[in-house]
Amino acid sequence: MKHQHLSSHQTDSFDKEYCESLNRLYNDNIRLSEIRWFFNRAYDWAYDTEAPSPEVVLLGTAIPEELVIASGAVPYWIIGGSLGSCAWSDDLVPRDTDPVSRSITGYINRPDGMDLSDSLFVVPLMNDSMRKMAYDLKSSGRKVCLIDIPPDRKDPYAVEKYTGQLKAMCEAVSKQTKTRVTRKSVAAAMKTVSHARNTMRRFMEVSRGHQDIITDAARLFVINAYYMISSPEEWCYHTECLINEIEYRSGTSKQFTQKDPAVMLLGSPVLFPNEKIPFLVSDSGLMISEAVDYVSMKSFVTYSSRALWGSRDRLIRKIAARWLAYDSAPAFVRNDALYDYVSWFVRNRKTEGVIYHVLKGQIEYDFELERFETMLAQYGIPVFRLETDYQYQDVEQLRIRMEAFSEMLTQRRYREVKKAS
Amino acid sequence: MTDINHAESLQQRQDKRFIQKETRTAAKYLRRLKELPGAPEGMEPFYRTLERIYVEMEPVEKEAGQKTIGTYCVMTPPELIYAAGAVPVKLCSGNYTAFSIGDSIAPRDACPLVKAVAGFQQTGLMPIYKDCSMMVIPVTCDCKKKIAGMLSDHCGVMTIHIPASREDEDLEEYIRQLYDLMARLEQTTGNPISYESLAQGFRKVGYAQYELSEFIRLKKQMPYLIRGSHAMAILNSSAYMPADVWGKALHRVNLSLKQNLSEKKTVTSKKLPRILLTGSPIVFPNIKIPLLIEEMGGIVAGDETCMGERGLWDPAVITDDSFDGMIRALANRSLRPCPCPTFADNSQRIFRLKQLIKENQIQGVIYHVLRGCLVYDHEYKRIENELGQLGIPVIRLESDYNEEDIEQLRIRIEAFIELIKLKQAPEKPAAVRRSF
Repeated sequence: MKHQHLSSHQTDSFDKEYCESLNRLYNDNIRLSEIRWFFNRAYDWAYDTEAPSPEVVLLGTAIPEELVIASGAVPYWIIGGSLGSCAWSDDLVPRDTDPVSRSITGYINRPDGMDLSDSLFVVPLMNDSMRKMAYDLKSSGRKVCLIDIPPDRKDPYAVEKYTGQLKAMCEAVSKQTKTRVTRKSVAAAMKTVSHARNTMRRFMEVSRGHQDIITDAARLFVINAYYMISSPEEWCYHTECLINEIEYRSGTSKQFTQKDPAVMLLGSPVLFPNEKIPFLVSDSGLMISEAVDYVSMKSFVTYSSRALWGSRDRLIRKIAARWLAYDSAPAFVRNDALYDYVSWFVRNRKTEGVIYHVLKGQIEYDFELERFETMLAQYGIPVFRLETDYQYQDVEQLRIRMEAFSEMLTQRRYREVKKAS
Repeated sequence: MTDINHAESLQQRQDKRFIQKETRTAAKYLRRLKELPGAPEGMEPFYRTLERIYVEMEPVEKEAGQKTIGTYCVMTPPELIYAAGAVPVKLCSGNYTAFSIGDSIAPRDACPLVKAVAGFQQTGLMPIYKDCSMMVIPVTCDCKKKIAGMLSDHCGVMTIHIPASREDEDLEEYIRQLYDLMARLEQTTGNPISYESLAQGFRKVGYAQYELSEFIRLKKQMPYLIRGSHAMAILNSSAYMPADVWGKALHRVNLSLKQNLSEKKTVTSKKLPRILLTGSPIVFPNIKIPLLIEEMGGIVAGDETCMGERGLWDPAVITDDSFDGMIRALANRSLRPCPCPTFADNSQRIFRLKQLIKENQIQGVIYHVLRGCLVYDHEYKRIENELGQLGIPVIRLESDYNEEDIEQLRIRIEAFIELIKLKQAPEKPAAVRRSF
């Protein structure tokens, strides 16, 4: 297994973080054989120097990849998540830039990185950093395609606007790949991506509450691995194998200890390799019932078989409408998709507390905090705002706060039992 | 009952304290402006407007029954608001007291301008905010985007999606939004926007812009006829005055400047370092930076901020005098020449800065960044490199809406001015005084 050769790469902070996260995930889930494939792919993504340069690079996850696939490209995602790559962008971005954008900029400018000089960059303009990143890319002579997401979902023309943006993206990508976008290719891509997203949902559902079999950090990692793999079908196949293994193991072994308090991880997404928060959550005796962020919420953007009918333009319009309804990226005046899902989830699934994760600089989440706090207070669910960046210096402070939150939730359990008796 | 009374009196005391602090800060900066020597004649209406809004806390002057429409950016065309029979008022604020209130409402890393807006909205004590029948918020940055959501709980809000680029299709999209805005304005004010009323709106704003272009021409004169801080007070007050009234008041200042020019009455005979101010907007009463520059011996010769010269500079050019042609002219004016960093490709800001440097013979640039204003901060490096090639020194001044950083800013500005002075040719020594 390639994983054993990791130590030779531990030379700088990127390698150190990447390999340490992989090592810990591997050691914590050593009994799961199917998960190793995901570790190997993650390793390849970062260290396979012989991989061909991608034709199309997608920055962040807020891009409908179905249209990129339909345009004949193999999506290559750069979604951020690394402290090491943040260091590569130190001189390129202002101090207050959020770590995700920093990390993405770093990856693009990685000193010994992949040659991306001829790639087309698709940039969703979901925040200020992305907007200015697009400016930097364009100024450095790279090919850039912008997706200007309409900020107000209430705008009656929002779907039309977004459809126009997506059509322009298809045009740009097919020009790059020299492949025509047809009705058939769009429908096939919608089907493939729907399958992958349904698998994502099923995986999260099946693996929930089985910390003895798969850790929470590993669950989030498997979802993240989707963005490191060129073929959604391949990811689906291996995720289904993993689901089968989890189901098999959960049928043969039972956990007899009391389950940890279930918390929802809400807000800024946790992106591999920075698994600091999920590691801390499990160290503090908590269990992540659901990670609700714009990465995981993508799993709800699926299409029924009926939606696959229609002309090419009609299909693109359907994609735009679906994305606008379910996208929970911070691009909107009000993040109603996220809000509605959270309120549905707390009504229907057991949630004892909410960790509101805010990455420094992602102020959009902070603006929405009050709204979430008010709603969750109606259900008597405590909210714990956790602000951090990709640095590891604050781990011990966060640990203390997280442990206190965990203790508070455990005490609440006892109080409820006492009240009931 | 006693508790309710106690809470009421507590609230009243808090409100009173807020008003006292707010008015005191505004009065202080107004006094500093007035004390700054070299003001031309005719400044009184502008001082009076700022005093009226921030010290006396009165609403904007308007005719009975006229409605007020709040705007947050120069990308909302005032012509349309005038055409609907309403008065536009720019709600971007520079108030320190409102900022401190907003600090506990808006996120810590939000920009001070948005915090001040949130603070005023929370207290509900500022008449210009209370009076607004509707607010128009162009989504130019993340903070504006989110504040639109917050404000929509209190008031009718219309957001305008500012496209990331200025291509033809983006312009078409913006034009469609202007038609939407028109419909919302008609609904809010109850006045239909006709060809004639829109033309009247153009005339009002056009007159103000004509006077402004004349003012800027006079401001460029060497030696200087007016200080930059006074010019900023004039430009800031345009946010709270109807365009025609403001234009008339500016006309009087222009006459006085022309007279001073003919009489060779200048602000100073000394060769002061000419500074260009760019970056985040400078909104009254947060005018500490231009005041510091001029108190330290420099002169704000150019101003590229959106609450300054840029706000009213570009005129709408009508090439087709139909109704649609006029709307297109507004869209063209708002998007095409705008060097706002909201655009993904903003290389024209560099051209604009170079133009201003050349026209105003600028010797140094002060790049103002309000804490949390990421879009401006992002462009700093690029501008520093570009201007570095021209041999123009640039410093980045990061500040907040408080007075705690004044001494640090003073030292940095003083050092910057010294640096420019060292570079410039020494002035001719004054004639030796032979007798007392």
